[in-house]
Amino acid sequence: MFTYHLKIAVASLRRNPVLTALLIGGIALGICVSTAFVTLQHMFTQELVPGKSDQIFYVRLDTWGKDVKRFAEQTIPDQVTYKDAAALLRSPVPVRQTPTFITTAFVHPDPKIARPYQPQIRVTNSDLFEMFRIPFRYGGPWPKSVDTKPEQVIVIDHATNARLFGGANSVGKTIRVGERHFRVVGVLERWRPPMRPYELMRNPLGAPEPMYIPFSLTPSLELPPAGNDSAWKNEEMDTYAQFLNSEVMWMQYWVELPDAKAVDAYRDWLRGYILEQKKLGRFERPLHFELTTIPNLLEEMRLPLDGVKALSIVSLLFLAVCSLNLVGILLGKFLARIPEVSVRRALGASRAQIFWQHVIECELIGLVGGALGILMSLGILSVLARFMPNGEALRLDGEMLLTASFLSLVAGLIAGVYPAWRVCSVPPAMQLKVQ
Amino acid sequence: MNIGPILRAMKHNRTRVVLIVLEIAITFAIVTNCVNVIIAERKKMTRPSGFDDDNIIRIHTRPFAPEFAEMSFLDTSIDADLRLLASIPGVRAVANTNFQMWEGGGSSSSYVPASSALKDGPQIQNYFATHGIAETLGLKIVAGRGFRQSDHGIGTQPDPANVALITRDAARAMFGDQNPLGQAVQRADRSLPPFTVVGIIDSFYNPYGINDEGGMSTRALIRPARVGSSGNGVSYMVRTEPGAVNAVVTEAERRLAQANPGRVIESETMLGKRNRWFSGSQVVVTTMTGIIIALIVVTALGLLGLTSLAVAERTKQIGTRRALGATRADILRYFLIENWLVTTAGLALGVVGAFALNVLLVSQISDVKMGWQLVVAGMVLLWLNGLASTIPPALRAMYIPPSIATRSV
Repeated sequence: MFTYHLKIAVASLRRNPVLTALLIGGIALGICVSTAFVTLQHMFTQELVPGKSDQIFYVRLDTWGKDVKRFAEQTIPDQVTYKDAAALLRSPVPVRQTPTFITTAFVHPDPKIARPYQPQIRVTNSDLFEMFRIPFRYGGPWPKSVDTKPEQVIVIDHATNARLFGGANSVGKTIRVGERHFRVVGVLERWRPPMRPYELMRNPLGAPEPMYIPFSLTPSLELPPAGNDSAWKNEEMDTYAQFLNSEVMWMQYWVELPDAKAVDAYRDWLRGYILEQKKLGRFERPLHFELTTIPNLLEEMRLPLDGVKALSIVSLLFLAVCSLNLVGILLGKFLARIPEVSVRRALGASRAQIFWQHVIECELIGLVGGALGILMSLGILSVLARFMPNGEALRLDGEMLLTASFLSLVAGLIAGVYPAWRVCSVPPAMQLKVQ
Repeated sequence: MNIGPILRAMKHNRTRVVLIVLEIAITFAIVTNCVNVIIAERKKMTRPSGFDDDNIIRIHTRPFAPEFAEMSFLDTSIDADLRLLASIPGVRAVANTNFQMWEGGGSSSSYVPASSALKDGPQIQNYFATHGIAETLGLKIVAGRGFRQSDHGIGTQPDPANVALITRDAARAMFGDQNPLGQAVQRADRSLPPFTVVGIIDSFYNPYGINDEGGMSTRALIRPARVGSSGNGVSYMVRTEPGAVNAVVTEAERRLAQANPGRVIESETMLGKRNRWFSGSQVVVTTMTGIIIALIVVTALGLLGLTSLAVAERTKQIGTRRALGATRADILRYFLIENWLVTTAGLALGVVGAFALNVLLVSQISDVKMGWQLVVAGMVLLWLNGLASTIPPALRAMYIPPSIATRSV
């Protein structure tokens, strides 16, 4: 029966190609716009670290002095000091944890390959890679022992490996950074998340850094911060050691706590640490710290961007208008077919059969229009990607493909049910009497 | 004209009326809200920065040659670079500064009048620049004077003149209505000796690029000094004659690299940076405009289709009315009034929808409250749209001959 319905539907669609094109075009337009903008929103709302976004916490400590008045909306510093980061590392509670900041230095490639250049370099513990599920192509993170006993090792990204080593497995080779040589221990897979999960407070849409070196090198190499730093205290800062020991806040701290028990234990540990520091005269304000999961941090940062949400709402309403339009056109098309339908009814077709046959015709329109719309949305997405700093990460994935197909079926159904119901309630042979 | 028969006819075609009403209502809600967002974004994008954005280039040099670590070498190289940049044809002014535009952040500190005992004052952006800065950025000095070459002393320290330019908003924040010229200001933490305000800058709202009228983004203080270091590099701002930007970029990069190859040279035009800063707004404006146009076309086609259907269905009745003495104008008027009524009903529902959608969007985006002018403009637009899509089928109805009434089908 289904194939018969399908055959009739195809025959009916071919009878009036102009009308059919209009119907398919209408659905395609609606699906194309809504798919593009729902995909855009999806890019910002998909889980950043698959499976454990809510187990990774951003640590903030209120280390401000009593009299510090900051911008009104800020209630706690958004970064931590070096000395706190170094102290937090001693906590046994988190399963993984890392302080991190960006620095910059001149990289001197083989002069035959390229001129010196100055990339941003992320300084971190080895836990960063596993914690944020950063994929490796060759090698892996440096061993944990490097986090306590510094070694000049480096992890580079896919593009750097292609640029400096022609894409070959470069593990074990060395790179000159500044005046020093670093041994490559790992090469990342091509990796472009929509947002850098470990850099949500500052420029989250930026691309991941091309190089990563151990945090334990910070004091010996005197790595300068290349990101934002904020100071509130007037301190002597002539040497790097004084800078490290200052109240300047310039790094981020992340911990992975797998369950509520671990979170409670870590809270207790932090409270203990702050109370201990208070005795030393630091943490002058009331005890205040914050542990924030990635999803909550995104919400705080107002991500996805306002415009993105607005566009996805508007695009779905646009699809609704396209569907309404189809109702009108289908109504006209089906009602014009009343004579034929009443003859079929008189010859024994049941109401249900007539109804389903018409619904199938609408779904056929929905599917063809949907497929066309999805193809067109690829065009919109590629234009959008060009305007976005993280455009590379904008793509139609399996989930969005399913959503788009589902939307086109729903649109076909919404547009078709009422006209199909109208046409199937025609009494049999009513038209026979007239003609 | 009596609208009774029209209303009765509409009752018989409830589906068609409901469809058009819904379609117009949703279209109206979307169009007004999209236009509202577009206006808000455009306002952000077109806000004057107070600078000659179109003709400014920022050139950043990052030295890697070891001699730049010597303070005296760095100072000499800054002066040499400034002279070199100024000699390029098409360059109007040049300055060395750590000020940047469209950066989304900058450097700031809390300042107070030096005569006060206050421990905390307004947060004010602070930058260093050499004496060409006002001419380079196109700043308007509304009172007092700009920097002179003699204002900055030796080295990259802001001594010995201890003077500063402040913006009008910074002056208001510290001195209220008093004349700020000649007053001394000081960092609230007293970490530096006080300095004297010698000039007032008119409007200024960078590099934060955010809308907080009278807030920190418009308060700034500039002090005279060369600025740069071997670690962070040295930046120059160059203002060109109109249209010379691209030629100057190429020539400046070539000459600077030639003068000392021990550094990486990066340049960016303010226009490019500004466009990148607003790329999000630009995407929203472009796509929303696209959606509005597509929506109006779709709705017009929908109305056209439904009205055509109505005319086709009523061919016989129209013929009969014509046969009974109705004029062509009567028929035309009938359809126009019918559509006007339906459109208006749709708009009435649409106004409710527009405000509902606005509430939903405002909960996501701040400060895009719907204005009544927009509602009125949207109504006029959709009335015209309704009229335009009714006229073709209505004209067809007008030319239906009375003789059709006598035929059986």
